[in-house]
Amino acid sequence: MSYAAKFSLSFGRLAAAVFLSLVFTTLILLVSGAPPLHTFVILVAGGIGSAAKLAQTIAVWIPLVLCSSALLLTFAPGLWNIGIEGQIILGAIFATGFLRPFPAGASPLVLAGALIAGMIGGALWAYIAGVLRTWGRVHEIFGGLGLNFVALGLTLWLIFGPWRRPGVASMSGTEPLHPSLWLKGFKGFSLSPVSLVLALLAIFLVIYLLRSTRWGLSLKAVGQNPEAALLFGLKPNKRIVEAMALCGALAGLTGALQVVGVYHRLLPAISSNYGYTALLVTMLASFRPKLIPPICFFFAVLNVGSIQLPLQLKLDSSLSGVIQGVLVLSVFLVHGLEERWQLFRRKK
Amino acid sequence: MRVEFQDIHKYYGRVRANVGINLVLEPGRIYGLLGENGAGKSTLMKMLAGHTQPSRGRVIFNGKDTGGLNPSRALAMGVGMLYQDPLDFPALDVWENFRLGGRQRDKKRVLSRLQELAERFHFGLSPEEKVSELTVGERQQLELLRLLDLGVKVLILDEPTTGISVTQKEMLFTTMSQLARDRGRTIIFVSHKLTEIEELCQEVIVLRQGRLVAQLQSPFQSEDLLQFMFGAEHAGTAESPERSQPGRGEFIQLEDVQLSGDKYSLPDISLQIRPGEIVGLAGLEGSGQELLLRGLAGLARVLKGRLVFDGEELQDRPYLKFRQAGIHFLPAARLEHGLFPDLSLNEHFHLAFPPQNGGRDNLLPEEGIKKFNIQGQLSTTARALSGGNQQRLLLALIPAQTRLLLLEHPTRGLDHGAGQQVWSHLLRRCRQNTALLFSSADLDEIKAHSHRVLIFYNRQLVADRPSHAISVEEMGRLMAGQGRAV
Amino acid sequence: MDFLALTLAGILSAGAPLVLATLGETLTERAGVINLSLDGTILLAAMTAFALAFVSGNPWLGLLGSIAVGIATASIVVFMGPILGRSQLAVGFILTLLCRDLAYFLGNPYARQFGPELPVWSIPGVRDLPFIGPILGYQSPVVYLSLALTVFFWWWLFSTRAGLELRAVGEEPWAAFARGIKVQRLRIMYTLLGGALVGLAGGAFSLAVKPGWGRPQGAEGAGWIALAIVIFGGWHPLRAALGAYLFATLQVLGIYLQEQFPGLPAPLFQVAPFPVMILTLLLVNVGSTTWFQDLAFRYPGMKRWLSRWQVTAPAALGQDFRPEK
Repeated sequence: MSYAAKFSLSFGRLAAAVFLSLVFTTLILLVSGAPPLHTFVILVAGGIGSAAKLAQTIAVWIPLVLCSSALLLTFAPGLWNIGIEGQIILGAIFATGFLRPFPAGASPLVLAGALIAGMIGGALWAYIAGVLRTWGRVHEIFGGLGLNFVALGLTLWLIFGPWRRPGVASMSGTEPLHPSLWLKGFKGFSLSPVSLVLALLAIFLVIYLLRSTRWGLSLKAVGQNPEAALLFGLKPNKRIVEAMALCGALAGLTGALQVVGVYHRLLPAISSNYGYTALLVTMLASFRPKLIPPICFFFAVLNVGSIQLPLQLKLDSSLSGVIQGVLVLSVFLVHGLEERWQLFRRKK
Repeated sequence: MRVEFQDIHKYYGRVRANVGINLVLEPGRIYGLLGENGAGKSTLMKMLAGHTQPSRGRVIFNGKDTGGLNPSRALAMGVGMLYQDPLDFPALDVWENFRLGGRQRDKKRVLSRLQELAERFHFGLSPEEKVSELTVGERQQLELLRLLDLGVKVLILDEPTTGISVTQKEMLFTTMSQLARDRGRTIIFVSHKLTEIEELCQEVIVLRQGRLVAQLQSPFQSEDLLQFMFGAEHAGTAESPERSQPGRGEFIQLEDVQLSGDKYSLPDISLQIRPGEIVGLAGLEGSGQELLLRGLAGLARVLKGRLVFDGEELQDRPYLKFRQAGIHFLPAARLEHGLFPDLSLNEHFHLAFPPQNGGRDNLLPEEGIKKFNIQGQLSTTARALSGGNQQRLLLALIPAQTRLLLLEHPTRGLDHGAGQQVWSHLLRRCRQNTALLFSSADLDEIKAHSHRVLIFYNRQLVADRPSHAISVEEMGRLMAGQGRAV
Repeated sequence: MDFLALTLAGILSAGAPLVLATLGETLTERAGVINLSLDGTILLAAMTAFALAFVSGNPWLGLLGSIAVGIATASIVVFMGPILGRSQLAVGFILTLLCRDLAYFLGNPYARQFGPELPVWSIPGVRDLPFIGPILGYQSPVVYLSLALTVFFWWWLFSTRAGLELRAVGEEPWAAFARGIKVQRLRIMYTLLGGALVGLAGGAFSLAVKPGWGRPQGAEGAGWIALAIVIFGGWHPLRAALGAYLFATLQVLGIYLQEQFPGLPAPLFQVAPFPVMILTLLLVNVGSTTWFQDLAFRYPGMKRWLSRWQVTAPAALGQDFRPEK
C-alpha cells in the first residue's frame, strides 16, 4: 500500500473514532443538561486559551509523557503495570521525605537528591509488584492495584500524622517547601525547564532501550514466549523485575517532580491520576512512541480545560476522563470493526 | 452408510492439501488411509468430520450431498473422528466428559450407560476420575465410547496408536474389527505405519502429495505400499547417513540421580555417556524420558545424586549454568516453547548469539539462513515459517560450543526429506564429539540413528542396550512393560 | 450474644454487594471471559440506582436501573472482547476508568442528597428463631438475594447439564464446539448475566449498604476486591461467597477497632483490605511456583495443607474463540 494510502487509512480510522467519541460525549452532555458546543469550547479554551493556561497544559503534559514512556517498558514484556499510580505516589513521598530536613537555602544538589530519592521510591514500589508476580504468581494487576491503595493510605497517614502541618492537618497537604527548594519555573509559571528536559530525555531513553538494545529485545521476547525466553538464557523473571523497576523509577521521578516543581508539598492527590491516564495514552498510541507526545498533549488540554467546568458550568471535572476513555474505546472499536470487515471481504 | 468423495480439492492459500480426490467408502469395511506426513490424510478426514470445507468438490453420504458440514452436523449424520490428541476436557470427570454433547440423561442414567458400554468392550474406566489423570490410551477409549453412544456409523481414527501401549493397541484393533462386523460401520484408520495397516485393514488408500495414488485390497505387499507412499525413486527406506563412533571416556555421568518434575519423579538413575555418543530414548508419553532430557538440561529438579558433566558437578546449579557448560535443549513444541512467534529471524539470531560472547564460531544471521537452508528472509517472523523451517531455525541457533544436545522428537511433523536433513546436521555435530540424547515416538528412527537405546516404562528406566543388540519389536515390548529388562 | 448476632447481621449486610459482584464475575469467568470493568461498573450502577430512585421516589426502579447498567457495560466487554477480538483486559480496564468518571460526572447533582433506600424486610417465622432470628430475620432484600443466588448458582454450576456446559466452555471451547455446544452464545449470555449481578451489587451499595451518592461513594475498590475473591474462591460460588464474607468481616472488624482505638490512623482501616487481597492471592497461587515446590519436598506436611488452597483457573480464561476456519 502506498504511503499516502496508509496515511489516509490511519487518518480515516482516527477520524471515525473521534467522531464516535464526539457523538457519545454530546449525548452524555445532553443527558446531564449541559450545552454540548459551549462545553467543548470551554474545555479547549481552558486548556490553551491563554499563555498561563498553555503553561499549565504543558505542566500536565510532562508527567503524562514521563509515565507513558515508562509504561512502554512494561508493556514490552506484556505486563499490565496498573501499579504505576502508586509508584508515582511513592516517588512523591520519598522526595518529600528527602527534603524535609532541609529548611532553606539549599543547593541544586539537594533538589537533584530529591529527584533521585523519588526515583528510588518509585522503583522500590514497582519492584515489590514485580517480585509478587515473579515469585508469588500474583498478577501485576492485583499487586499493582493493592499497592496503589496502600500508597494512598500511606500518603494520608503521613499528611495527617507525622508530617502534618502544625495546627492545621488538612487535605491541602504537608507544610509547603521553602521556595529555595522549588524547581524554578518559566517567569512565574509553575512549569520548569528541568522537568521539560527530563520528560524529553525519558522518551528518548525508552525508545533507545527498546529499539537498540538487546535488553529491550529480550523484553519483547519474554512477552511473546516466556518458556522460549528461559531456554534462550534470557532470564525472564529478572527482565520482568528490571522493566518494572525502571518504569517505577520514571514514575517516581514524575511524583518527585510534582512535589518539587508543581505543588511544592505532598498532597493526597499528588498523582492526579496521571498513572491511569498514562495507561490510556499508551493504549491509544498502540504502544508506538511517536504518537505519545501528541496524544499526551491532547489529554493534557482536556485535563486542564476540565478545571473550568465546575467553575463555569457547575459540571464535574470528570468529563475529561470520560472523553479520554471514550476515545480509546472508540479507537478499539474502529480497529475491531475494520478487522472484521477485512475478514468478511476476504471470504467473499 | 456409504461415503463418497467427489473431485475433492482443498487449498490453503498456495498450498494444495488435497487434489482431485475421488473415493467411495462402503459400509462394514475397515479402510486404511496411508501416506507420509503432509500427504493430505488429515485434511481429507477433517472435511469428512466437518472441521473444514472442501475448496472444490462434494462429500456425499448415502447419495445425498452433505452441503456445509460442521463437527456437530457431521456427528448428527453419523460421522465421528477420534483424534490423536483427544478433544476432551481434562479438568472434568470421566462421566462428565461422556455426558457433554450426548443425549439428555440424568446423572444416574449417564453412569449406567457408561458402565454398560465400557463393559462391552472391556475398557476399565472409573467414572469419577478426572480425565487429566488418564493415559492417552484411556482417553481414546472414553472418546470411542462416547462416539459409539452417539450412534456413529463412520468412525475415523487419526493416528490412534501413537502413545498407547501394545495391549491397548491390540484391544483397539479387536474393538475395531468387532465394530465393523456388527451393524456395518465404516472404519477409517489413518496412519503412516505400514505394519499396523497391514494388520488391521481390509482395503488401503494411499495418498501422496495430496493425490490419491492407490487403492488396494488386502493382502498387501509392503514394497508396493512403500512405493506408492514415497514414489518409485524413493522405494525402500532411504539410506541413513553415516554414523561415527563415539569417543572415549566418561563425558557425562549420572550417579543415583533422582529427578523430579511437575507430575512425577524418576527414581535413581545411573548412567554414563561418552562424547559423540547418540542415545535414543524410547517410551510411551509420560514414561520418564521427557524428565531425563529436562533433567540433563537443567530444567528439572535433582533431588539427590551427582550429575557430572565433563568433570563439573551440576546437580545443584541453575539452568543457566547448564547452558554455559555447553548443554542445549530443543523442545518438541517448536513454536510454543522454543521460538518467539512474532520476532524475526534476525532478532532470533541476535538473542541467541549476543555479539560480545562466543565470537567467531557463532553465526551471523545471513550465514545461518544460508547454511541451514531456512526458507525465509531476515525479516520473516518465526510464526510465518513452516514446521520444517522452524526446526532448521532451532538447529541454526544451537551455539557452536555445544557439547551435549538434548532433543525432544527432532523430526516430529516433518516430511521424510526434511527429517533426513535434520539428521545429517545432527550427525555432523556428533562427529565433532557432541553427545546427543533424543526422544522419539518413531522406533525405526531410534534404531537407525542411535548408538544406544534407553527404554522407559512406567516412570522408570527399564533397559539400556546398544542399538544393534535390540530389535524394534523388543523395544515396543519393553516400552509396554513386557519382555525381559536389563 | 446480642452483640455477636448484631455483628454477624452486619457482616451479612456488608458482604451482600461483594457476594453479588463476585458471583457474577465467577459466572463470567467460568465461561472464559474476564470482565475487568467491575470497579467502574459498580460505581456507575450505584450512581444510576440512586439517581433513578431519587428522581422517581422508588428504590426498586433504582435497582432495576443498576441491573441495566451492569448489563450495558458487560455488553461492551463482550462485544469488543469475544466478538471483535480485542484484548479483554484492555477493554475492561478502559471501561473501569470510563464508568467511574461517567459516574462522577453524571452523578454530580445527586451528591450528598438523601434519597429512598430499599426497605428492610422482616421475615415472619425466621425473625423469631433463637440466635438466627436477629441475624437473618431483618435484612435488606439484597442480602436475601445474595444468599439465595449463591446457593442457586452452586447447584446450577455443578448439578445441572447447563452448568456442565458452562464449565466445558471455559475449559476447552474447541472441544465444546466440536460437541455442538454453542460456545459463543454461552459466553455472551453468561457475561451479560454476570454483568447484571455486578450492576445489582452497585445498586445494593447505594440503596442499602452505603446509601446515597458522593464522591467518593464508599464502594471504590470493591470491584477490584471482587475480582480477587473470584480467584481466591477458585471460581466456585460457595468458596467465593465465603471469601466475600471474609472481607466483610474484616470491614466490620475494622469499624469496631477504629472505635476502640481512636489513636490508630484512619487510613489504615481504609487501606487494610488491599494487602489482605494480595496475601489471599499469594496463598492460592504460591503452590505453583518452583521455589515453593522445592520447599514442599522438604516439608511435605506444609505442602499438603497448602495444596488444599491452590486454585486453577478455567483453562480458556481470557482467550479468544473464533469459530470461523
